[in-house]
Amino acid sequence: MAFSNALIFGVNEYTLEIEKNISSHYKNVYIFELAKDVENGFDLSDNWDDLNKKVDINDSVAFCILEDMAENIFLTISLRDTFKDLVIVALAQNKESSDKLKLAGASRVLPTTQTTANVIVEMLEKPIVTEVLHNILYEKSSLQIAQIKIGQNSSFAGMHPADVEWSSTHGIIVISIVHEDMSRDFIYSSKAKHHQIKSGDIFVVVGYERDIKEFEKLIGADE
Amino acid sequence: MIKRLIIDAAYYLDTTESYQKNKRFFYNLLENSNYRYKKYFDIFMMTLILISVVILIREVKSPVSEYLTFFSAYIISIIFLIEYLFRFWISSSVSRVIIEQHEHDITIGNEFKLYKALKKIARQKLKYVFSIKAIIDLLAILPFFHQLRLLRIFILFRVFKLFRYAKSIETFTSVITSKKFEFITLFVFATIVISVSSVLIYVMEANNPDSPIDTLFEAVYWSIVTISTVGFGDITPVTEAGRIVAMFVIVAGIGVFSFTTSLIVTSFTEKLDEIKDTKAIDDIAKLREFYLICGYSNVAKEVAKALRKNNNIIIIEEDAKKVEMAKKDGFISLNYDPGSIESYKKLRIDIDTQIKAILCLSHSDVENVYTALTVRSFNKDVFILSILIEKTNRNKLSFAGVNEIFYEKELVGIIAKEFVGQPVAFEAIHALRTNYNGIDINEILITQRILKSYATVGELQNKKYRIILLGLHKNKKRRFYFNPIDSTFLELGDYILVIGNALFIEEFKQSLNKKVNDGF
Repeated sequence: MAFSNALIFGVNEYTLEIEKNISSHYKNVYIFELAKDVENGFDLSDNWDDLNKKVDINDSVAFCILEDMAENIFLTISLRDTFKDLVIVALAQNKESSDKLKLAGASRVLPTTQTTANVIVEMLEKPIVTEVLHNILYEKSSLQIAQIKIGQNSSFAGMHPADVEWSSTHGIIVISIVHEDMSRDFIYSSKAKHHQIKSGDIFVVVGYERDIKEFEKLIGADE
Repeated sequence: MIKRLIIDAAYYLDTTESYQKNKRFFYNLLENSNYRYKKYFDIFMMTLILISVVILIREVKSPVSEYLTFFSAYIISIIFLIEYLFRFWISSSVSRVIIEQHEHDITIGNEFKLYKALKKIARQKLKYVFSIKAIIDLLAILPFFHQLRLLRIFILFRVFKLFRYAKSIETFTSVITSKKFEFITLFVFATIVISVSSVLIYVMEANNPDSPIDTLFEAVYWSIVTISTVGFGDITPVTEAGRIVAMFVIVAGIGVFSFTTSLIVTSFTEKLDEIKDTKAIDDIAKLREFYLICGYSNVAKEVAKALRKNNNIIIIEEDAKKVEMAKKDGFISLNYDPGSIESYKKLRIDIDTQIKAILCLSHSDVENVYTALTVRSFNKDVFILSILIEKTNRNKLSFAGVNEIFYEKELVGIIAKEFVGQPVAFEAIHALRTNYNGIDINEILITQRILKSYATVGELQNKKYRIILLGLHKNKKRRFYFNPIDSTFLELGDYILVIGNALFIEEFKQSLNKKVNDGF
């Protein structure tokens, strides 16, 4: 689901990095500072009426990235209290705050410490994997990772994903399948092996841009 | 002429590689507790000591075979004599003293004074000869020279040699010597009490015909037995005055006894952390490979947790509270400043061979830069990774010689981008990274052994093991080939990247290495 507005709550170094990376995905990026009497300032005791007037909340994603975790959790809970369906992405510095943010109603939590540690360990223990994934994720190479939705009346419908020679025939590698209920299985896991492809499934594929586009056409992607 | 010969000989010995190498070897074997083979030598010597003691005990009541007596008196003694001579040799360097004296005299324009050098050498060697350890060593050799029964008691000095080989005894001695003053005070106090009470009890009891105390020796014996709280009861005072003295001695005895106990306990408590650290440093010196984490921040904690599954981790941190936290979390952690060269010297780490990477994970860029610079000042090659807290400090970390800089905020930005762009794809990669449901992404090095059985990608049979072959990283070209065609040749040093169940990946890896055996 694509949204038009990104609302970033908190002004710090995370803000700059997030804004830099997401600005191309949204028509408008609004940055709000935790301070009274400044333009685009907000207070944790706000009732968000002003915000509601300013942007279309239903067409927005909110990023709660205050560095003080207690304030960030409070901000998340107050946004969730006011806007039941808002997609909230919140920054967590540790496992404890991550759990609390989920309880507070964040749709997605970005655990900084955990992720940083994982990537550092990966860099040390699997340097080649890290380099390849880095290139795929950050689009430094033409190799990309993409999600492709199986269209209506696809010729692959009814087949078992592990039986199809994706790599030799189509030049792509299918890594995992996301089912209608949004549960995810990697291609050779036992559940995915017995799964019959049907419309609405989402394939997560790795491949060169050209091959991915051709494959998208072939399976009749909806989007 | 003689002077010239001596100087030449000294320079010759000092510059001869094989002589120095041999001397180093014997030094390591006898004195360096970190030397790998020292423990075998120590065990051998301890066994010899125990054999001599067992023979000595056996000799008291039963006849011992001539061979054993010969073995104890001559073979063991000769081995100890050789050891003594080696220790004497390595205790100081004669050639170095002569060279130093020669260079000193030349520099100030004087003639070389041989007698001064000889005096220095004699002083150094005599210092060794009269050290407690060397005296014990010498006494342990004595039975070799004397067959007199009385001198056999010198065999017991061999037991004291155990001090050389058993580290725990050495630790105990060092703890006791750290409280030298208190022990001397206690000894003086006990001596005064014993002297006074001995004289008193002698005066009170010696003239009484019913009293068992007749001589001053008996009075001293009684005092010592009483003050040590042993109290055999074989000698007891009979006069009232004597009993009053006894009461005084008993009370004083409790005092001396409790003072001794508390002294030993407190000295051990005070030294406990030091003892533990010494033990940890000794253990670290024995490790083959480990990651050295400098600074125990939250990120460091998570990194250490993840790395410890397959690696040894050592943490050094300046803040004692954080060191305690790391210890509670089950890591080997030491309270040293990662930014001080002294710390690395004390830790006796061989950075070239023992360290896989140094991770600067402190909360402060200042500390991380300082640590990196410190390490770089004495080692150019070790891999250093550092986290970056403030973006503006990136260049400083680069200048300090950090190989990999990790900026957490940038990572968060990129994650946010992937999350809003392709959430499903992002989730898939994230799941792979965190080993979700046992599915893992891994790299397998193509070794000579694998190459013997598999020449091309098509022969790998990864599908049989339900594993996806994502690509091949060519070491020579430093290039990644995604989804390589079956006819692609494998080369030594290449990596294949695979995705699949972690257990299946392990089986696949084993099968790659195993096939070569199946062929026979």
